[in-house]
Amino acid sequence: MTARVPVSSADSPLGGRATQAAPVGDPLPFSAPLHLAAHQWLVEETYLLDRQDLEEWLARMTEDVHYFMPIRVTTSQGAGYDTARRMAHFDEDLYSLGRRVARLRTEHAWTEDPPSRLRHHLSNVRTFATDVPGEILVESAVLLFRSRGDVNEPSLVSAGRSDVLRSVGGAWRLARRHITVDESVLRTQNLAVFL
Amino acid sequence: MFDLSDVVGHVRDGMLPAHIYNDSEVFAAERETVFARSWVFLAHESEIPQAGDYVVRRVMENSFIVSRANDGAVHAMFNMCLHRGMQVCRAEQGNASHFRCPYHGWSYRNDGRIVGLPFHREAYGGEAGFNKRGQRLLPAPAMDTVNGLIFVSLDPDAPPLREFLGDFAFYLDYYTRQSPSGVEVLGPQRWRIKANWKIGAENFAGDMYHTPQTHASVVEIGLFREPKAEKRKDGTTYWATGGGGTTYKLPPGTLEERLRYVGYPDEMIDRMKRVWSAEQLDLIGRDGFMVSAASIVPNLSLVHNWPRVADSDDVLPFVSLRQWQPISENETEVLSWFLVDKEAPEDFKALSYKAYLMCFGSSGMFEQDDVENWVSLTATAGGTMAQRLLLNGRMGLLPDGSTIVPPLGRDAWAGPGESRVGYGEYNQRHLMNRWADLIEAGPLRPAGVSVGTPGRDGAR
Repeated sequence: MTARVPVSSADSPLGGRATQAAPVGDPLPFSAPLHLAAHQWLVEETYLLDRQDLEEWLARMTEDVHYFMPIRVTTSQGAGYDTARRMAHFDEDLYSLGRRVARLRTEHAWTEDPPSRLRHHLSNVRTFATDVPGEILVESAVLLFRSRGDVNEPSLVSAGRSDVLRSVGGAWRLARRHITVDESVLRTQNLAVFL
Repeated sequence: MFDLSDVVGHVRDGMLPAHIYNDSEVFAAERETVFARSWVFLAHESEIPQAGDYVVRRVMENSFIVSRANDGAVHAMFNMCLHRGMQVCRAEQGNASHFRCPYHGWSYRNDGRIVGLPFHREAYGGEAGFNKRGQRLLPAPAMDTVNGLIFVSLDPDAPPLREFLGDFAFYLDYYTRQSPSGVEVLGPQRWRIKANWKIGAENFAGDMYHTPQTHASVVEIGLFREPKAEKRKDGTTYWATGGGGTTYKLPPGTLEERLRYVGYPDEMIDRMKRVWSAEQLDLIGRDGFMVSAASIVPNLSLVHNWPRVADSDDVLPFVSLRQWQPISENETEVLSWFLVDKEAPEDFKALSYKAYLMCFGSSGMFEQDDVENWVSLTATAGGTMAQRLLLNGRMGLLPDGSTIVPPLGRDAWAGPGESRVGYGEYNQRHLMNRWADLIEAGPLRPAGVSVGTPGRDGAR
């Protein structure tokens, strides 16, 4: 699920402002309050994304968020990398995410009018403490089912995610998301939807 | 079902039989003609900078390894073992001195030469039975480069690439030669869309008319400095031999002011002034036009635009190259690369990359709405009603064949080819006429190539 070489914001020319939080120790027990909080955050997020409540979704990001989905490539076993280092499907900050959401709110975003039927299936959640105070790292798998219209087959996007959640004024906010997509060639017509 | 010569006749008349956008027979003909005879883009030299670097790319279903050999030379080799036909390279990129076939262990140097053939003596009786000396993976029948772009043709007798592109080379420089060092090419993003490959090629070639409607949302959210997408009608569509494209009209000003207007920093402008010809500079500085989208026959497109990349009034230009790789009559793999001048400052490169991601590619806000339309069009073109409908692709033409707008004179358009201000489907017709030429040229029937045993060649 995860890239053989982990995704790093340092691989992006736009990732310089991102938190550098790294996991510390083993995954937290599933009974740990931090894990429960992180898991609940992710579950709540799937509901926001499925009903495309994107303003509320944006409100759960930090000002310095880095939302990064590099290209996955097919390389031989010994190559030492399987994500492209300098190209991504998404490499976003709050401004560009905000423009994407604003566009979908116009009356002329044809690609989501009529809207897709979406279901984000979330699993494999585990949480780590990090070396940055107030930040936790949570890993998960997501399977996005997307159906449009009545003629074409639905599409699936499978991905692993590694997220840093930061405690801001008593609430958790997404400070960094690294998405490891499981296809080198996406089988969905575009990424007008979020993972 | 239908007569291909009727289809070609209608296409030449600017009337497009709608089913050509989703028809297995048309697609079969394209495979044997358009993609067998044209120069097709495979890769850019900057994708394989070091000795041993390779990428694997396709022309239709034909897989080629594009590699840089130890001596620095670039090779495009058919990715099929000479023995039993296995793919010798199953990665899409990497660095290798050799490719070893996983089936029986034949191995090839990164220039294609056979170096290992297990049990050569015991199994074949040595050189007498299989002459491996001088044998190599089948090279692409023709290969050539322009501005680092590597093209191949499956036709060994194809006219030279420079001839195929012709006057379009003048315009290609705006995208791929902004300094003596040329561009670096990053990507590609790859994704599949349920759309016919021709639609994207036609759209990028000359469809200024769709911008105000399809892309209204991108203008509404303030991604562009121009408040109205209708500005497009002040630009031109030009066609020049093997390709053509669209331009925007820039506000009044000097060459430098106009290049600054689209977001180029002065040091890049200085280099452009050194590498571009007087005519290339005049098209911007004197005539006030800036290239935007373009297509090269048959399935390669370019785009240049200059959005806002942060919450400010500044804009920043980006260049993208994309290939509409046919999968079937109703499916296309899009390969979309980001291009940036090698000598550009690092902060420019980073923000230009951001501009690209926001606008084009798998998540790009322009591309999203384009693809939605093309998928819908393709699905509808697959039925029998579509076989009756001739789509009107004659915008800009009167019934007697005269054009509603004359081409610009030399005093208003410094470039070669033919250019007209305003909306018109001149370029789509040029592209589809080239398509018709290739369909009419008929399939290639190359002689077979036998390997290892002399005297076993045979025509297919």
